This record gives sequence, structure tokens and C-alpha cells, in this order.
Amino acid sequence: MAMTPLFIGNDAPVIVQGMTGHEGMKHTARMLAAGTNIVGGTNPRKAGTSLSFDVNGSPVDVPVFGTVAEAMEKTGAQASVVFVPPRFAKSAVMESVDASMPLIVVITEGIPVADSAYFVASAVKKGLQIVGPNCPGLATFPAAPGTTGANLGIIPDGITQRGPLGLVSKSGTLTYQLMSELSDIGFTAALGAGGDPVVGTTLLDALKAFQADDATKACVLIGEIGGSAEQEAAQWAKEHMTKPVVAYIAGFTAPEGKQMGHAGAIVSGGKGTAQEKKVILEANGIRVGSTPGQTASIVRQVLAKLGE
Amino acid sequence: MDLYEYQARQLLEKEDIPIPAALYARSSHEVAQAVESIGLPCVIKGQVKIGHRGQAGGVLLADTLDDAILDSEKILPMTIHGHKVNGVLVTEAKNIIHEYYVSISLDRASRDYDVLATVHGGTEVEDIAHNHPEDVKRLHINPLEDFDLEAATTMAKEIGFYHADVDQAAEILLKMWKVFKETDATLVEINPLAKIGNPDDESSKRLCALDAKISLDNNAAFRHPEWSEFIDAQNADPLEARAQKHGLHYVRLDGQVGVIGNGAGLVMSSLDAVAGAGEPSAASSLAIKPANFLDIGGGASADVMAESLDIVASDPHVSSILINVYGGLTSCKTVAQGILGAVESNGLTNPLVVRFDGNEATEGLQLLANANNPHIHVSDTMEDAAASAVSVAREWNGASDSTASTTERN
Repeated sequence: MAMTPLFIGNDAPVIVQGMTGHEGMKHTARMLAAGTNIVGGTNPRKAGTSLSFDVNGSPVDVPVFGTVAEAMEKTGAQASVVFVPPRFAKSAVMESVDASMPLIVVITEGIPVADSAYFVASAVKKGLQIVGPNCPGLATFPAAPGTTGANLGIIPDGITQRGPLGLVSKSGTLTYQLMSELSDIGFTAALGAGGDPVVGTTLLDALKAFQADDATKACVLIGEIGGSAEQEAAQWAKEHMTKPVVAYIAGFTAPEGKQMGHAGAIVSGGKGTAQEKKVILEANGIRVGSTPGQTASIVRQVLAKLGE
Repeated sequence: MDLYEYQARQLLEKEDIPIPAALYARSSHEVAQAVESIGLPCVIKGQVKIGHRGQAGGVLLADTLDDAILDSEKILPMTIHGHKVNGVLVTEAKNIIHEYYVSISLDRASRDYDVLATVHGGTEVEDIAHNHPEDVKRLHINPLEDFDLEAATTMAKEIGFYHADVDQAAEILLKMWKVFKETDATLVEINPLAKIGNPDDESSKRLCALDAKISLDNNAAFRHPEWSEFIDAQNADPLEARAQKHGLHYVRLDGQVGVIGNGAGLVMSSLDAVAGAGEPSAASSLAIKPANFLDIGGGASADVMAESLDIVASDPHVSSILINVYGGLTSCKTVAQGILGAVESNGLTNPLVVRFDGNEATEGLQLLANANNPHIHVSDTMEDAAASAVSVAREWNGASDSTASTTERN
């Protein structure tokens, strides 16, 4: 039976924008070691060269292309992971959008929101998927034999394995924490939506993808103060989801008007509080854990009820 | 970054949006000088980055110089809803015929820009929207598109500006859009946008921005060197400023347990865990709360960890400190080295409760165990660590203030 890919096809070829930079190089090595099919990087000044990575003891050469369009033409890349610094991020992401890259994962933190709004609107117009910015990326755990899935971004490999859960989160470390607490159960995919005010893939978009994916049986949603993405996801879930969603919200103690680390994590004008989100999630039938540990226990109860 | 009214006015003035004459003053002496040049009557407006200042007594009308000085002496020392007044604006008093509300903001949910306006200006927008939802007019601008004179004129008519005012209102809307785009703002609000002048003299009437609120996108600071003048040195928390210098995100709160972690979500979660464990109970009526938010970021070095501990411990209200790290990029072993460095070289004596998980957690815990330091405690889970940090803080606060705790027990 052919599987519908969740976010990205098994073994899909991937390029890295910013691969020759410090962060890009470090994480390209990690992503390769996790089994991601990285086929190239881009840097106009280093086009035609290649970088050698040590992947579990054997060297792997990854070619550097001048542009995203050229990389796509030569490699058939279906996704790009962006590690470009904030001031160059807009033009890097727009290069991928202009080349019609189907999936663009933007890890960079600190991009001006006007730039993000512009490239997100551009991607929406062309029907392309952006994940992030300011996110840990995307990790998939496909069932197909001989594939290890795609690790696009900075999510540590080896925390968990294939299983029936789908996870979407505004926070990186809380993603790893919940993946770790539920490592014995496993996941189909974990998607870091990002902590910025404007992101390409919202919590709601991720729930839609998990609802459409046969292998995902239940979802974990990790939210935090700021905006209303959790509330919108919950309202959609109540009307359209047949799969249970369990949530965790961070920031009950956050004061008004203070940005708590993430650019989007701010309570303004009394709106976007953790309490308000919890109330609306619960009113829409989503159970909300009071700590990450308790959230994991609720997920276990929910799965037991499903007979998983 | 939110701007004070006197700063927001500067940005409006650059685009020729009409504003009343005003001078910023920091003492009653400067107020007296300002009144001389602005004239009487005038309005003395406390500068704070929070709404509802009028109801709080932060805006007063003065008919005489003596009144203006007395008003400023009342307002200058005020703290309004927790915000210290940072100077006053001495503004010429205008005869107001009508007040409108207009704003342009980033709309997070629709991922575009939202022009919002109503004929009922003057109070906070939340109240306006609540009392007159049918009169709130909105126009969403796609980030790929622009706002033009035609759209602005249509909008001005819809809002309900009178015939003669439509053109001026449209022009002001367009100029606000220019301010919004060019300054990387997330909010440009004029409230009230007032129709001023002599009611009996049609030619004297015009629109004027009597108050303004602007928020700028911190992420865009790299392309706005001119923002350095907006940095609020006077009201900045010294520990927040010190953390910022080291690229750390620190927010001071009002509790007793210092909190350090990696990743904004995990740190917020740790604060919640401390507040949950610290709720007053039958055993103790003393509420224990988090003293700060501090995110060491991804892949932090030992030096960053040591500096973070030093910053958190510099807050005199801090008793115990919770360190909660899930090692992804960050190595728990490196964090442990930073902790030991801070304890051994900086002579830190606050009790520390450490919880490690993930990358090199075992190695990190081993290092801490080997150090055999009585100030360092270890917990397996975040929940246990929070409970332990709270219980240490409770003992510490009980011991240092026995009168208070005895009174509370009675």
C-alpha cells in the first residue's frame, strides 16, 4: 500500500541553504548522520566546490551549488533547510520560493517579522509549505523499510522511534522533552512550528496534516503564551478531527507585556495568556496537562483508551 | 519595543502627520520653561508605556503656569499600573470637536496587516470594540501588496469622516502606513485622531494626532541604528541590561526561586512548575514564586552558564536556584562545568537544584556528584526539581524572616 507522505516523502532529496556557514555545517553533519538524504548546499561564492562530511565513519561529499534553482535542477531536491543569518534570511527564503521549492524549513531565529510575513505570503500564494522561522525543524519517522526518515533542522536524533503520535510545538526544548517522555511509544512526525509571531506552518496546519495521515492516531500540541494559534487549532480540531489531541501550554506565570525569550511569546493587552488558551482548549475537548510529565501521562491514558 | 508618546510623535512628525505643539520635560523647572513656549492652557501628560493613564490621573489640564507646575509635581513621581512615569509632555490644549481611532498593526492570526478604525475614539480600543463593534472598520493588507490613496479614501469614507475631512484622513492613513513600513513597526496607533478647531469657524477645523502609540519589531533593530535613542536606560532593569550584553534573555519577576534553563518554552514551563509547587498550603502559608526567566539558549558554553548563575544570584530576593536543562545541542556536561565554575570561583552560596536530561546528562550528573558540594542538589524530573527548589526557598525565607512567618502561621 502506498503511503501518503506526512510533510515530506521518504528519502526525499534535501538541500541546505547556509550549509557552508558554521551552524549550517554543524547541522548538515548531524542531519546526514540521522539518515537525511542531503544532496547539496548553496553558496554563490563557493559554487562548484563540495564539502566532505564524516557520516558514521565514512566520508560523504555534498556538492555546493550557486543557486537554489540550479541545485533543484541538478538534484531534484524537494526540500530546503535554511540556516542563513537574519539579515539575509528573506532573500534566501525568497530564492527557494521563486524556485518553487515544495518544502522550506527555516531554522533562523531573529528574522524581522515584516520579512517573515512577506516570504510566508509569497509561499502561500504559490502553494508551497514553509516551516518556521525560529523553529527546531521537522523530524519524520516513516514506516517504510530501509528508510530512516527526514531530520530537517536541529531536532536531536535518537530520542525516539516510529510510533502512533504526531507532535507539533511552538518550542524546541519542550518538543525534545515530550519526545523523550513518550520515547517508548514513538511518533510519525514531530514538527516545530516556531516561536515567532508569523510562521509558515501553524499549529492548525500541522493538526490538519496529522488528521489526514492514517498512521497518526493521536496528537500532542505544545503551545505557549502569545497570539491565538492554539485557540484556532482547537476550534478546528473540535469540528474536524476524529483523533484525540492532548496539549501542554507554557507561560502561566508570564507577566503582561514582557517578551519571554521567543519573539512571539508575549501577553499584550491581557490577550494571549496561558490561562485563556487552556480554557478555550478544554472547551473544545482538548485535555491540557499541567506539566510536561503530566501531559505525557494523559497521552498514555488516551492511547490506552484507543487500544493502541 | 514600545515607544513613549513623545518618541512616537517624532516618527509621526517625520512623515508630516499633524500633531499639536509639545515639549518633553523631566522636572517642574523644565515644565515651567516648556509652558513659556507652548502657552496656556496646556495639557501635562505623564509618559508611560501603558494604557488607561488618563483614568489613573496621569493626564491633567492646566490653565495657569502654577497649575502646570503643580500638575507635573503630581505626575512625575507617579507609578501607573506598575510603570514608573518617565517625564511629562507639555502639550498645547486643543478644542476637540470629535475623536476618531485609527491604527495599523501586524495581525498574527491572518499573517497580514490590519488597518483598524472607528468614529468612537478617545478610550482604549478594547473598550471601543466592545461597546461599538458595528462601527469598527477593518481593512487587511496582504504583505505582498501596498496600501494606496484609493483604498485609503474608501476606508476614510467607511470609517465615517465628514466630507471635508475624507481627503485629510486618507492622507493621514497613508502616512501612517509609511511610518509602519519604514520603521519596521508592529503597531502604529493614533488615538484620538481628533477633529480640532473653533466650532463656529469652518476654516479652523482640521484633523490632528493628539496621542500616539508605536511598537517596533526588536528583530529589525539591526537595520535601524537610529533606534539607539529609544533605549530606555533610565527605566531599564540593571540585571536585564547585563544579561542582554551577554546575549541572554533574562526577565526579572517578583519571586524567590531563580530559574535557568535552555529554550524559552522549557524555561517558561519551569517557572510554571515552581509557581505550582510554591502555592501556599496547609503546611505553609508563604507563597513561593519564580524570581526570573533566564534562557541560556542552544549549545551554551560553561562560561555562559557561570555568567547566568551570577546574574540570577545578583537578585537579592533569590534564595534557591533551579537549573533545568534538556540537552539537545546543549551538553549537560558543559553546563555542569559552568555550574561548578560559578560555585567554586565566584563563591556562590545559594542552594542549587539541578535537573539534567538528554545530551551527556549522565556525564554532567557525575561531575556534580564528584564535586560533593553541599549547595548542589540533583533531581530526576522537572517537577521534583521545582518542588525541591521551592522547599529549600521556603526554609530559607522562613529562617531569614521568622517574625513574618510566625505572624502568618497565627
